[in-house]
Amino acid sequence: MSFWEYVGNRHAQLLTDTLQHASAVFQCMVIATVLGVLIGVLTYRSNWAGNLATTATVTILTVPSLAMIGLLIPIVGLGVAPTVIALTLYGLLPVVRNAIVGLRGVDPTLVDAAKGIGMSRTARLLRVELPLAWPPILTGIRVATQMLMGIAAIAAFASGPGLGNEIFRGIASLGSANALNQVLSGTLGIAILALLFDAVYVLIGRLTIPRGIRA
Amino acid sequence: MTPRDESHPRRDERPPGEHEVHGLAFRDVVQAEERATATGEAPAPVAAGGARRISWQKWTFMPAFLIVALLITWLWFRGARLDSIAHQAVDNGKVGLAVRQHIQLTVVSTFFVLIIAIPLGIALTRAKLRRATPVAMAFANLGQAVPALGLLILLVIWLGIGAGSAVVGMVIYAVLPVLANTIAGLRGIDPTLTEAARGIGMSPMGVLRKVELPLAVPLILAGVRTALVLNVGTATLATFGGGGGLGDLISAGIVTQRMPVLILGSVLTVALALLVEWLASLAELLLRPHGLEATT
Repeated sequence: MSFWEYVGNRHAQLLTDTLQHASAVFQCMVIATVLGVLIGVLTYRSNWAGNLATTATVTILTVPSLAMIGLLIPIVGLGVAPTVIALTLYGLLPVVRNAIVGLRGVDPTLVDAAKGIGMSRTARLLRVELPLAWPPILTGIRVATQMLMGIAAIAAFASGPGLGNEIFRGIASLGSANALNQVLSGTLGIAILALLFDAVYVLIGRLTIPRGIRA
Repeated sequence: MTPRDESHPRRDERPPGEHEVHGLAFRDVVQAEERATATGEAPAPVAAGGARRISWQKWTFMPAFLIVALLITWLWFRGARLDSIAHQAVDNGKVGLAVRQHIQLTVVSTFFVLIIAIPLGIALTRAKLRRATPVAMAFANLGQAVPALGLLILLVIWLGIGAGSAVVGMVIYAVLPVLANTIAGLRGIDPTLTEAARGIGMSPMGVLRKVELPLAVPLILAGVRTALVLNVGTATLATFGGGGGLGDLISAGIVTQRMPVLILGSVLTVALALLVEWLASLAELLLRPHGLEATT
């Protein structure tokens, strides 16, 4: 069976896996973004807390994803739970780091000016600092999403959802005629998803980065 | 546990703004005090550091933490009740073998990554090939979208089961970050410096060896660290292609539902990854040319 015949035969299954993969990554990325920006906002003013947050997230990233999932299974069991927790944890790192770097990089004179025209601290944060720090945060989200695409594939080993299942089906039937088709469809599917997400982020950047600070 | 390089320039930039902000009434006292201690402490390592910016406490924390974590795991594992299936997974020195295989996979693949990526990075920044750089980078970024697991298994199907295919996959996967670092490092060099070197009569080879490479060392070393950390992680996937390593313990633990085996494998993997990252950061700090420390 050629690759295209395989894809034609299994398109329902492949489509479900693809949608689940995309939705798992997307949802975890939303949680990671909200948490990451929040951690960034809470810690960037203090040298100590900011560095601690960065160090902690860098350490998490150093942990191989399979080991992280392995440590989560005894606590939360197999399935969706370890997948979601692992994806969210790994998604945090680039967002937190870029949020802190971005917020610290905001020109203090601009914040002073905002204060001078009578903006409250919340207003300064929401209308001056975060918009200025948004481009690096968005870059962090892009990097994180691409990473999560690959980690989600590994999470299928702990019965997680998504295209990783296709790859592991191929591993289970290594040597059979369909193994290559299964692994190839899973791998290409994830690569295409990653590129699609990346394109969407470029578009989001176009729409949300204020024209005045676009590079 | 390394404060990232990015944070250092920030430290230097921040104080002027902070002093301005300090006198202003809008900040509450506690916060102002926190910031006072933060700014009071922050310049100290930079100033005292000159040579070694990071305190010894910071450097000894990680090994101490790892020793304690491994000790606790070992004591717990000895006390845990193992049935015959769990015994089969860990007996006859299988744990030691897995650790050795894992280290071998990591070291061998990192070696190949370096001898491929660094010369390639140098070649791509030479005048003749400079036009090819964006094409190569775009291609490499496209390749980065391919998941490591899928790449590894495709290579296993193509090249056969075993550690060899795993190493090839790991090398392909880690070449890009090191290549990108090398190119960024060589490109970031102030052109007036290379021109000055040419001006005093150095050959292009001499400029590369005596000026460009020493200046790019910090970024290349950061690339080496990235490659090591990536490879320790990817090596856990070698088990799915019969390549051995600590992934064997983790997957055996998951497949047979034996939690002690799973936890032992995971803890050992985490400890190895953190140890490698710690060693690499140490090497990065020690090998950095002394003249560059003030600026980077």
